Amino acid sequence: MALVPLRYNLRSLFVRSSATALTVCAIGATVAVLAGMLSLQQGFATLFQERGRGDVAVFLRKGATSEGESGLTREQCDILSKEVPEVARDQKGAPLASAEMFLAMRLRKFDGGETNVAIRGVEPMSFAVQGDDLRIVDGKRFEPGSDELIVGEGLLDRIANCRVGDVLRVNTVTFRIVGTFAGKGGYRSEIWGDLDRLGKALERPVASRVVAVVRPDTDFAALTERYASDLRVQPKAQSEREYLKSQTGDLSDRFTLLGGFLAVIMGVGAIFTGTNSLLGTISARSHEIGILKAVGYRPFAIFVAFLFEAVLLGVLGGLAGCLLVLPFQGAETGTMNQTFSEVTFAFRTTPAVMLDAIAFAAGLGLLGGMVPAWRAARMTPTQALRRA
Amino acid sequence: MPWKLLWRNVLGHPVRSLLTVGAVAVAVFLVCVLDAVTSGLTRTLNAASANRLLVQSAVSLFVDLPLSYQQKMASVPGIEAICKWQWFGGRYEQDKGGFFAQFGIDADTFLPSYPEMKITRGSYDDFTKQRTACCVGDELADKYGWQVGQTVPIMGTIFERTDGRPWEFTIAAIYHSDSPAVDNQTMWFQFDYLRESLEQGGAEGPLGVGVYMLRMAPGTDPVAVQQAVDAMFENGPQRVQTTTEAEFNRQFISMLGDVPTLLRLIGGAVLFAIFFAVLNTMLMAGRERTRDLGVMKALGFTDRATGILLVAESLLLCGLGAGVGIGLGLLAEAPFAVATAAFLPGFGFDERTLLLGAGIAVVVGVVAGVLPGRRAARLTAIAALREVG
Repeated sequence: MALVPLRYNLRSLFVRSSATALTVCAIGATVAVLAGMLSLQQGFATLFQERGRGDVAVFLRKGATSEGESGLTREQCDILSKEVPEVARDQKGAPLASAEMFLAMRLRKFDGGETNVAIRGVEPMSFAVQGDDLRIVDGKRFEPGSDELIVGEGLLDRIANCRVGDVLRVNTVTFRIVGTFAGKGGYRSEIWGDLDRLGKALERPVASRVVAVVRPDTDFAALTERYASDLRVQPKAQSEREYLKSQTGDLSDRFTLLGGFLAVIMGVGAIFTGTNSLLGTISARSHEIGILKAVGYRPFAIFVAFLFEAVLLGVLGGLAGCLLVLPFQGAETGTMNQTFSEVTFAFRTTPAVMLDAIAFAAGLGLLGGMVPAWRAARMTPTQALRRA
Repeated sequence: MPWKLLWRNVLGHPVRSLLTVGAVAVAVFLVCVLDAVTSGLTRTLNAASANRLLVQSAVSLFVDLPLSYQQKMASVPGIEAICKWQWFGGRYEQDKGGFFAQFGIDADTFLPSYPEMKITRGSYDDFTKQRTACCVGDELADKYGWQVGQTVPIMGTIFERTDGRPWEFTIAAIYHSDSPAVDNQTMWFQFDYLRESLEQGGAEGPLGVGVYMLRMAPGTDPVAVQQAVDAMFENGPQRVQTTTEAEFNRQFISMLGDVPTLLRLIGGAVLFAIFFAVLNTMLMAGRERTRDLGVMKALGFTDRATGILLVAESLLLCGLGAGVGIGLGLLAEAPFAVATAAFLPGFGFDERTLLLGAGIAVVVGVVAGVLPGRRAARLTAIAALREVG
């Protein structure tokens, strides 16, 4: 069966350029909203996942879902660091493990408001556990046992009193900032200091978690199970990768849900617009359709031709939508994560986001083109030619 | 003016008119919903009471204040009553996605300090007399089908019972609040029950107070009280920050991130889409009607009249669309408000939101009608009649 040459539809879109452009813009705006939400979701998700390591264990208190909820006494931390056989050791035989205390602390932002910033008290071994994932870019590391802090570079432009040489008051104790560090993921929005000194200043004798390098073949479920009935400590052991994935789930889902909700509602509007526009061109083109029929094209061929035109309109709209969101690429924004501390993340329009957006737009075109294409296919040659 | 022609033109293309009205309706609905979110947040802030202050740790949201602070603060002049607030963070039917806030409070000072709350079922007296009682919001009770006298099991996360079982709270009263300052999906229980359980070893967890609410006597200067309380604990053991209720709420709202900007951007995209959709329809209508316009002009209708006719048609379509969109919004208002109450307080339409929806429709209608309208006005009868669709 002969199909109508694609050239016919391409030329038609071109000749009726104002109607094409308006429809493309209407679909484009819809797609831009979806692509925008997906880009935010991507930016947030990659922020956490790129840092997750499979050979680093995170121990929380049983039942806790995040560091903010967890609490382990120092004795429990020692048991986990020194007794768990999976924990790796350095050349001197010391366990590559560190107890950490985490607290979302109120700090002033440059724009005047207050926000919660993650402050983390760590033991010297934390740096060995993190390895190359954490580097000092300015100044030096804090001295163990001193009232010194280092600040993640993601905070420098957002939070006041965070530059090297500044002083920061933590409850009633004054700390000095001696360095800035770069790190992957959420760490770049944190402040680090000595575990004991911060614990004293904040009157928090309890740690939040233990991180440790573990042997590559560690079975975390079996490890958790082994301690399930230990009276001294019942940890929840996870790989860092799993832990971070569980931390981003909620907010990631929320972006996807909001994007989906908006895309569906706006998509309905876009389908109306597409249908309208194609119906308009079809009634204006009934003469052409009559000629196509008169020269022998089957109704199905005409249906396919108009549906193709509709999908093409959709894809053009999808491209327009992607162009609309691209200027935001890399823009940084902040939000609260699960532990109620602010994290900075960037807007990321990845190729996958663009593909999703264009596929969505093509779907809109397909749905919008059904009725007009059906109508065009059903015209009889005489009817169509007479209408002109 | 040939108004009859207007109707004929709209009804003459029923499919096109319906689709345009539909597209406008969707856009107006969405703009109204987005605006209701932001205005809901503003309303919540405005509903905050001026005679309540909140005292929290100046260091962190997650640092508790000592119990001993209550007695010290009671000596500050102007404070009429103090009520403890402690976030419980327990889980109820979590596997089914159930989430609501629970707070331990001082029953004797709580209700008198929050006159916007009305007890609708059960009795507040019963609540104050029973250690294990709780008072829940009517939306929460309706959501789970709870009745007065029923026991609700809550699994502790911050405060775990040593026997490993869930906490059990008996519903003594159900409240309703018309003011967005207090939501209707919260469970209140007696702080003393929590304190006794912790002290007697029935449960494990930190013993402290998240927030102290201070009710001031009428005519008290809030700034003086704030300064007096903040100065009292300046040297520890925990520094405090005393804020008005509005300021306290603002800090939680700002945690959601920059919601207003995000919503404005989305709203802009919606407007952009709807404008092009209506403009497209009207340009098509204008083009198709070239011949009719020629006939009208030959009959003696003025340029103005033909132009205005197209603008009016555009306005009519947008007006109908706005009507449908606002209607849909009003239908969706109640279920939306219940669904979002946990994280977006105060969702609801007010006159301003509805006016915004209608205003957008009018502006889009006029602007989208003017372009084809001008063309119609400029067209001469001869040129119009010569052109073939």
